[in-house]
Amino acid sequence: MKKELRWKILLVVGLIALAIFLAYPPSKKIKRGLDLKGGIHLVLQVISEDAINVETDLEIARFQELFRKNNITFQTAVKEKPGRFTLQGVNPDQEGKTRDLVDQYARDWDYAFVSDRVTFSLKQPAVLALKDQAVNQTLETIRNRIDEFGVAEPLIQRQGNERIVVELPGVEDPDRVKNLIKVTAILEWKLVRGGPAADEAALLQSSGGKAPEDMEVVKGDPKRGQGGLYLVDKIASITGKDLRSVRRSVDEWNNPAVSFTLNSDGARRFEKVTSENIGKPLAIILDGKIQSAPTINGRISESGIIQGRFTLQEAEDLVVILKAGALPAGIKYLEERTVGPALGSDSIRQGLMAGLVAIVAVMSFMVFYYKLSGLNAVAALILNVILLFGALGYFHATLTLPGIAGIILGLGMAVDANVLVFERIKEEQAAGKGILSSISLGFSRAFSAIFDSNLTTIISAVFLFQFGTGPIKGYAVTLIISLLANLFTAVFVSHLIFDVAIKKTTKRLSI
Amino acid sequence: MELFKTPHIRFLKYKYLALVVTGIIVLAGILNVTIGKGLKLGVDFGEGTLVRVVFKEAISVTQVRDMLKAVGLGNSVIQETGRKGREFQIRTMEVVRTGAQEQEIEAHEQLGNRVIEALRGRGGQAETATATPDLNTVDQKTLTALLEPAFSGKGEEIAQNIVSYRNQNGIIGDFSELQAAGINPDATNFLKANTYLGKLTVLSRETVGPQVGKDLRRKATQATIWALIGMLVYIAVRFKLAYGVSAIFTLTQDVLITMSIYTFTNREINLPTIAAILTIVGYSINDTIVIFDRVRELTKTLRKEPLETIMNAAINQTLSRTIITSGTVFLTVLALFLFGGEVINDFAFIMLIGTIEGVYSTIYLSCPVVLFWQKIFKTKTGFKK
Repeated sequence: MKKELRWKILLVVGLIALAIFLAYPPSKKIKRGLDLKGGIHLVLQVISEDAINVETDLEIARFQELFRKNNITFQTAVKEKPGRFTLQGVNPDQEGKTRDLVDQYARDWDYAFVSDRVTFSLKQPAVLALKDQAVNQTLETIRNRIDEFGVAEPLIQRQGNERIVVELPGVEDPDRVKNLIKVTAILEWKLVRGGPAADEAALLQSSGGKAPEDMEVVKGDPKRGQGGLYLVDKIASITGKDLRSVRRSVDEWNNPAVSFTLNSDGARRFEKVTSENIGKPLAIILDGKIQSAPTINGRISESGIIQGRFTLQEAEDLVVILKAGALPAGIKYLEERTVGPALGSDSIRQGLMAGLVAIVAVMSFMVFYYKLSGLNAVAALILNVILLFGALGYFHATLTLPGIAGIILGLGMAVDANVLVFERIKEEQAAGKGILSSISLGFSRAFSAIFDSNLTTIISAVFLFQFGTGPIKGYAVTLIISLLANLFTAVFVSHLIFDVAIKKTTKRLSI
Repeated sequence: MELFKTPHIRFLKYKYLALVVTGIIVLAGILNVTIGKGLKLGVDFGEGTLVRVVFKEAISVTQVRDMLKAVGLGNSVIQETGRKGREFQIRTMEVVRTGAQEQEIEAHEQLGNRVIEALRGRGGQAETATATPDLNTVDQKTLTALLEPAFSGKGEEIAQNIVSYRNQNGIIGDFSELQAAGINPDATNFLKANTYLGKLTVLSRETVGPQVGKDLRRKATQATIWALIGMLVYIAVRFKLAYGVSAIFTLTQDVLITMSIYTFTNREINLPTIAAILTIVGYSINDTIVIFDRVRELTKTLRKEPLETIMNAAINQTLSRTIITSGTVFLTVLALFLFGGEVINDFAFIMLIGTIEGVYSTIYLSCPVVLFWQKIFKTKTGFKK
């Protein structure tokens, strides 16, 4: 055997070994997409405007404080929209002093004086940074919640400016997880000043039809058996931020509940509120809805319990979201797909079945039509598949249904490459060429067609990958890999097999 | 073995007829889209909610529709998708246009819930009230927790067996089936007493908001345009501009014809549909290039002959290859169509049309367009040397 041939064989064997190593066992190395495995795919939009709104409120409060400290008088602060507010009635004599103060403390804000008004607007870079931060924090919080809940191999990533893609394979109860992600989870304890009442008129009768300045009306959560409306303090006694730890427990009637401990600062404030308000109800409010309003029986400092007629699952979920913290901004769903495990395994089974039938049919045809040379094509085809899976394993690519479509196109073109070569060899033989030169001419003359057609398709697939979205990308990836493998197997390997199998002494070519 | 000797068919004699045939099919398709049935955009492009369910017992489409009618969703598209009349795919058609996008998707979500509730009907309400779990929807963890006290140490195994049986079969129709899942009679009796079998399970549900649907449409269009430009440039460089233009023309009409035929079926356009069309384009461009390659080669040997003769020869010489390749692809796709299951069925259907149509278009369109280009622009479209 020629030395060159030996090296070529070694290269092919080495590549096969590498590909098998990368792809074996396929159930572990090749990730299956949600359409094949079952699970949830969510696209969320972070309402990052919320973060600007919060920042504006904070800044207004900070300036009121700052002006008061520096003896600058003004009448009112008006928030015009998120990221923009006006302080009205500033004493024009104090403009210089005000400017100094603003320059020193509000670098992120542009300001303009118009007679006695100062209008502040958040600078564009700061807006972008805040929004960016809100999205990142939201992503982090969602990740924490999902980790806390326990999902294997979750994929949580940012897409573009304000979108987050969440993919959770193999989740059995999608609705539960969706709720878990979506709740903002702002938890507050507020003293109840009135209620429960059926409607606002009844609730506010004693205070003259309007909620007092420092109080607000909050709804009970019907799911927790809290009907009606309550009048509560605007300022929370403690909030979710004061929690040190939470865990699921039971209340005195053995119903599921969540017990918590507070950090030292929270404990101090809680102790003060509870000792001063014994006998009064204290509302526990989650995302603006009262979960329960137990009566304070005595001084509580460090630890307590949240009741609310929870089911076991609801109590567990509340623990998860409280541990992971609140979302910095609201979110909304743009897209949601859930594939049950049954459908996923159906798709796999049917896809495999169809794939096997197709491959066996094609291979049988090749052997039937091209005899022994057909076997050569079959070998090249099998090698193509092995290389493809090796590459998928190496790139950690995810196999989806459109991806399988890409493989089908790739395999079709692999067969075509063999057909092109074999038909050409036949033509050359018909033109009276010898066996060895027919083979060599067959490959060299068919090469331009194979090369051009594969490369054209690769070029289009690259663009599809670049500009396409998820499923189209999956299609493009398997197609590109498969066609690259094809150029190698159908041309190089197939030629090599002929070189090894056909000797100068061979009388007839089985084709 | 040979299918046939290289034939000498003057394919290009029929080039004008081919143009007319293509024109008629495309026109019919366009008319169908504009004033006929219209393009049916699927859930993937932001139109509604799609729910797939499997029932415990066989049920007719009419029965499903009646149940949906009762909650005002009688106009939903209902499709039986397998498991002998037990599996259905339901797409709500009530497009919610409230303005705010968040409300829209939430409304779609509720539509989905309404569908599921309507199909469940009253079954299971008594059990839900007493907190008896539905063995057809309960998750493995909860099931284990339920079983563990009665079957200490074995709860997990039993739960796992049940869930995997359920995943394989979609739904458990009767407690007697549990024997096949390897559950012993004791456990079966325990489950009979402590759980019930719900009427249906939800296989999948999909809701795509209008914003994402719009994005997908835009990106798909963008990707296609760039892919076309890429191919045009490459073919123009490797062959000639006329050939690039012809290739793009050919595959554009591949897409148009396939879509025209597709619009006459009651199928929807979803992402797998797009993947199928891209695949057809892939095969068609492959076929076209093989013929162009032969034209390029023959112009070197048959320099004296007019281009039309060379093209006829090229088509004839590659004919056996065209038929063998398309035949094998057709075989593959037929297998997908017959055995591939519901999810892949639309994909396979388009591929079936496309492979047949692709042969026609490569033979009757790719070369003639080059000739037309030559006639119009009086350029030399042959190859030198």
